[in-house]
Amino acid sequence: MERVVTVERLVKEYGPVTALAGVDLDIERGQIFGLLGPNGAGKTTLIRSVIGALRPTSGRVSVLGLDPLSDRWELRRRLGYMPQTPALYGDLTTRWNVAFFVAAHRRGDTESAVDEALAAVDLTDRADDPARTLSGGMKQRLSLACAIVHRPELIILDEPTSGIDPELRATFWNGFRELASAGTTVVVSTHQMGEALECDRVALLHLGDVVAVDDPRHLLRSSRARIRLWSGGEERSIELDDYPNQLRALLASEPADRVEIELERVDDIVLRVFRNQVKKEGTTS
Amino acid sequence: MTPEPATAGSRTAAVARNALAALRGDPRFLAVSTIAPLVVVYLLKVFWDAIDTPLIRQAYFAVPGGAYMVHFVTYILTAIVLVRERVAGTLERMFINGFRAREIVAGYLVAYTVLATIQCVLILAELSFLFDLGYDFLTMLEVFLVIWLLAVVSMALGMLVSNAARNEGQVFPFVPLVMLPAVFLSGMVVSVDSLPTWAQTVSYIVPLRYAVDVIHEIADGGGLLGQVGPLLLLPLLAILAVGFAARTLREDL
Repeated sequence: MERVVTVERLVKEYGPVTALAGVDLDIERGQIFGLLGPNGAGKTTLIRSVIGALRPTSGRVSVLGLDPLSDRWELRRRLGYMPQTPALYGDLTTRWNVAFFVAAHRRGDTESAVDEALAAVDLTDRADDPARTLSGGMKQRLSLACAIVHRPELIILDEPTSGIDPELRATFWNGFRELASAGTTVVVSTHQMGEALECDRVALLHLGDVVAVDDPRHLLRSSRARIRLWSGGEERSIELDDYPNQLRALLASEPADRVEIELERVDDIVLRVFRNQVKKEGTTS
Repeated sequence: MTPEPATAGSRTAAVARNALAALRGDPRFLAVSTIAPLVVVYLLKVFWDAIDTPLIRQAYFAVPGGAYMVHFVTYILTAIVLVRERVAGTLERMFINGFRAREIVAGYLVAYTVLATIQCVLILAELSFLFDLGYDFLTMLEVFLVIWLLAVVSMALGMLVSNAARNEGQVFPFVPLVMLPAVFLSGMVVSVDSLPTWAQTVSYIVPLRYAVDVIHEIADGGGLLGQVGPLLLLPLLAILAVGFAARTLREDL
């Protein structure tokens, strides 16, 4: 498989703060690659190094065979980026927003590219409305249209579906899957378990380092859950470490009027994997 | 048909068109920035009538006042606009989509020059309506050219300030820093020659000073060429400030 992104021993320091502490990472063409980790793990710094928006302290990054800093402009013709916040011109129309961002790459006839991008995010019927009149989810879709309008080979999405409803999230992911099957590489940073499981591969980041890279169905397989039971107005909370196998036995022994199951969150899993790794290193050394 | 790749020129034009469209899309901002200076120029007339002195000629007093208003407004508008883009994230998006810093600065300069030109015309029309300037059309054109050049310098300075700020609030301390010394050191209120030597030296970095020099020369009956030095220094300052603004517009703050 062709490697689209290669990161080697990447370090980024801001004064005394180490944002990236020697990251190694490979991303292959046509993959949906997830970057997971709690806030401050280094996801955004890593993304900004890959798109050439900041100069690393040391290490090497190669994206589509290019150096993100010295070949910045060549790279940006072939790369799409969707920031966390929509970053749109609210007073300008939906169509105008998309047309403006494609104008960095193409001259003249951009109509068809704009139409296609708007259709892809299902905003054709809102094309002539000012962007500020769109709902939050629509703004996210418009932001995505601005990132894909020049048909990039690599798309980087920084928490693309934070704050949008599950139905729209599913629509987004269908879109990402379509892009990936057409050969586009999609890199997504996320906190959501549902999204993480949709990825082909994920990297877990913590304290500026990659803790693990694997298939999310292996890496994020978790049997930990917190079960909250209500019976006769009384609430109890029980931790299971072999969910769902233990659930049947639990419910048989503890009759309840209402049950809530809280699965382990992505960020908790990242921290657990990290702690296990530190423990392992501690015992081997 | 494959569309042609964008060129530096087409990207600059795209930024300019975008900035103009954003201005049109925000009529309140546009109206306030156009009408406010006209109101202040009217107050200048009220002030003139109140002091009622035969010692100062109207053109000597009123035209620098009008020039100052254009200087003030164009400076503030451009200072706010780029920082607004940075806060909204659209500046970062422009960079990542492939717009270069020099194209963004040039595009904004072109767009805001359109606005500044309209402001210059309106202010000059108001000045000649309210005051007895006694200028023919050609002289008015000369005055226009001077104020317009000053506006270009102001916009470039505004962008420079914008680049140093991370949010709109940080722009404000820079407003009095540039605009208040201009009142005292430009020769608008008192002649530069009567200032202490150190203040005269500082006045060389006050763009309004050069505009006032030429405006006074025109009022004295001399043409533009009576003050070639200041007249050439204005575009030179503009080029320097624009170049510096393009160099300091950074993607990663």
